[in-house]
Amino acid sequence: MKRFILNTVLFLLFASIFYIVVLNLWGYYLPQSLKPNINYRIGSYGHMYSRLSEVKNYGEVDILFLGSSHTYRGFDTRIFAEKGYKTFNLGSSSQTPIQTKVLLHRYLDRLNPKLVIFEVYPEAFSLDGVEASLDIIANDKNDFQSIKMAFIINNVKTYNTLIYGLTRELLGLNSPLIEDTIKRADKYVSGGFVEREMGFYQPEKIEEKEIVFQDYQLKAFSEIVEKFEEKGIELILVYAPIPRPTYERYTNAKYFDSVMQGYATYYNFNEMISLNDSLHFYDSHHLNQNGVEIFNEKIIELIESR
Amino acid sequence: MLFNSIDFAIFLPIVFILYWFVINKNLKLQNAMLVVASYVFYGWWDWRFLSLITFSIVVDYFMGLLLGKEENKKKRKLLLWVSIFVNLGFLGFFKYYNFFVDNFVAAFSFFGQDIKANTLNIILPVGISFYTFQTLSYTIDVYRRKIEPTKDFIAFAAFVSFFPQLVAGPIERATNLLPQFYKKRFFNYSKAVDGMRQILWGLFKKIIIADNCAEFANQIFNNSANMSGSMLVLGAVFFAFQIYGDFSGYSDIAIGTARLFGFNLMQNFNFPYFSRDIAEFWRRWHISLSTWFRDYLYIPLGGSRGGTLMKVRNTFIIFIVSGFWHGANWTFIIWGALNAIYFLPLLLTKTNRTNLEIVAKGKIFPSLKETLFMLITFGLTVFAWIFFRAENIEHAISYISGIFSSSFFTIPKFEETARAITTMILVVIFILIEWSGREGQYAIEHIGEKWYRPLRWIFYATIIFLIGMFMPTSESPFIYFQF
Repeated sequence: MKRFILNTVLFLLFASIFYIVVLNLWGYYLPQSLKPNINYRIGSYGHMYSRLSEVKNYGEVDILFLGSSHTYRGFDTRIFAEKGYKTFNLGSSSQTPIQTKVLLHRYLDRLNPKLVIFEVYPEAFSLDGVEASLDIIANDKNDFQSIKMAFIINNVKTYNTLIYGLTRELLGLNSPLIEDTIKRADKYVSGGFVEREMGFYQPEKIEEKEIVFQDYQLKAFSEIVEKFEEKGIELILVYAPIPRPTYERYTNAKYFDSVMQGYATYYNFNEMISLNDSLHFYDSHHLNQNGVEIFNEKIIELIESR
Repeated sequence: MLFNSIDFAIFLPIVFILYWFVINKNLKLQNAMLVVASYVFYGWWDWRFLSLITFSIVVDYFMGLLLGKEENKKKRKLLLWVSIFVNLGFLGFFKYYNFFVDNFVAAFSFFGQDIKANTLNIILPVGISFYTFQTLSYTIDVYRRKIEPTKDFIAFAAFVSFFPQLVAGPIERATNLLPQFYKKRFFNYSKAVDGMRQILWGLFKKIIIADNCAEFANQIFNNSANMSGSMLVLGAVFFAFQIYGDFSGYSDIAIGTARLFGFNLMQNFNFPYFSRDIAEFWRRWHISLSTWFRDYLYIPLGGSRGGTLMKVRNTFIIFIVSGFWHGANWTFIIWGALNAIYFLPLLLTKTNRTNLEIVAKGKIFPSLKETLFMLITFGLTVFAWIFFRAENIEHAISYISGIFSSSFFTIPKFEETARAITTMILVVIFILIEWSGREGQYAIEHIGEKWYRPLRWIFYATIIFLIGMFMPTSESPFIYFQF
């Protein structure tokens, strides 16, 4: 029995080392199609690398924006600057409360906002958070928070990418990247906003679905809200405008509103402003620049009328 | 609890340590602990259905005792029928109630009689078909006086609910498994290492082969109307490997886990896709179920004795019942009947027991003839799987007509070509490993036996690495849980 336990422990140790070594060689030398469970892409879609590089030296802000791609494509820092607000947009693709928590842990004190506008989108509460975790692992320096995040998400792709990323950081294999400001139709704007080339959406019917809250996402969300309360930072929750078919697909949207209202001041802009699906959106989720301007003006009006 | 989950990875070492280190001196306590562990394992899915298992255990335990005491033939038969009625009654209600109601309504409406009957929203208890057959085998064997009824309730409860094989087999016989609960078990290093190896191979089959093939099989079957003939063929082949990897992978994990606790379970799969005819395939596929039907249905019906008509009747009965055991759907019945049709020529020409040994035993390559027969058998099996996988008969027919169209000759186009090719490469590697290990109980049983330890460990660690690199990101349950 002792021999069995000892050999099992030794084998597990050996297999762990073997795994880490082979994972790194595999990740380094083989094409993406052969490494489906490592997704380490620095400077990928959404300008996360530029955003996280900029936030480190940005200084304190008046308003901090948090949330998914609706955030970094929906809150134009230039419009807010024109009205005298210094803002930073810390949104990222498919960001769920788990990633928001990690980002806040790293940057909240540095940015020290007076007001936080947290964009809440139903999907963010039902997603597993894998996609957004890979974005953060690849584009930011990893620390204990990354490991904690990986354990909460508990997905092999997140684990592998984190191991790969950590090894690359430890060995200094990541050379500094200068990410292009303009990538395809996207233009990075100082402060974290990404402006999309003007485009228009052709609305289509979308299959109905129910909003399902993942327990661990809701838990992370509650902790974020508590953190703001502790620090005395004002919080506004915002359901950003989306095209009508996308908004109306959720069969229990009212329930979502009532849950959000229980946490903080909440504005559902889909019920507050009237936008045209074709003229103010470029796809089934995101506002085009015309829509962004209307939406941001309305937000500013609300902030100023408090 | 799923074998391929973190929960099980935590559960197993805890049970193992308690079993061998804390209560290793007391056999009764060890058995009791296995019952508790089995209930936790099952209750993880839905604790409410533990009452069903408990009821089966209690009924068959007392039926066994009564059968042991009773000498009157009529009364013995009555007791046996009570056990069969109770066990199959539960199975019938949970698994077949809606099927029968739907079909009665359809049959009456066919004759112009509209009747109203409501179907129920019934949850099928996981593994009910497996443990029902296992506990039934006990009462039948006691009735046949093949085994003495047990007086040890805990041992009997452990036999029925033994967690490694509770939800998806192998369906053990009381003659094999029950006596193992009576004897003191000693830890055996080689047996435990062998168990670990078999678990590893089972995980590879399930996570890498079955789950990856499932993604493409599902994609193709769910959109079969828009797929070319060549894609439909690939879809059926992917499903063939999905179901083999899934089910035989589960059996490997079950057998390996049981070995860690000092138990020997029966072999459930014996490289079925290397069969040279359908009879051989059925000797190698889901052995515990095939032999169950042979012993408790086919032989009592008369088996191969009697005239040709009797043999044909019995063959059809056993295959159709076996199909129906899998699920309450006509597709499973057709699947069973189709296999009976495949089997019939062999039975009638008395060639159904030609290929008893594993193909090309002691050789590296099979002969041309063997290869051809293996390919034909595999092709027939894949064709039958279409019925098994299809949603209904119409779906199966449209799927098959899609194959036999001009688009059969087009090049398959996948949404994710690179992933599809990677999966195919993994399947080819899997076939090669299975081929090289086909003379063992499972493919990697003897691979690396004579290698130096570091090399052997590299081999096992590579399997772990491949699992980590190619496992699909979402956890999928075992297919046979639904049966």
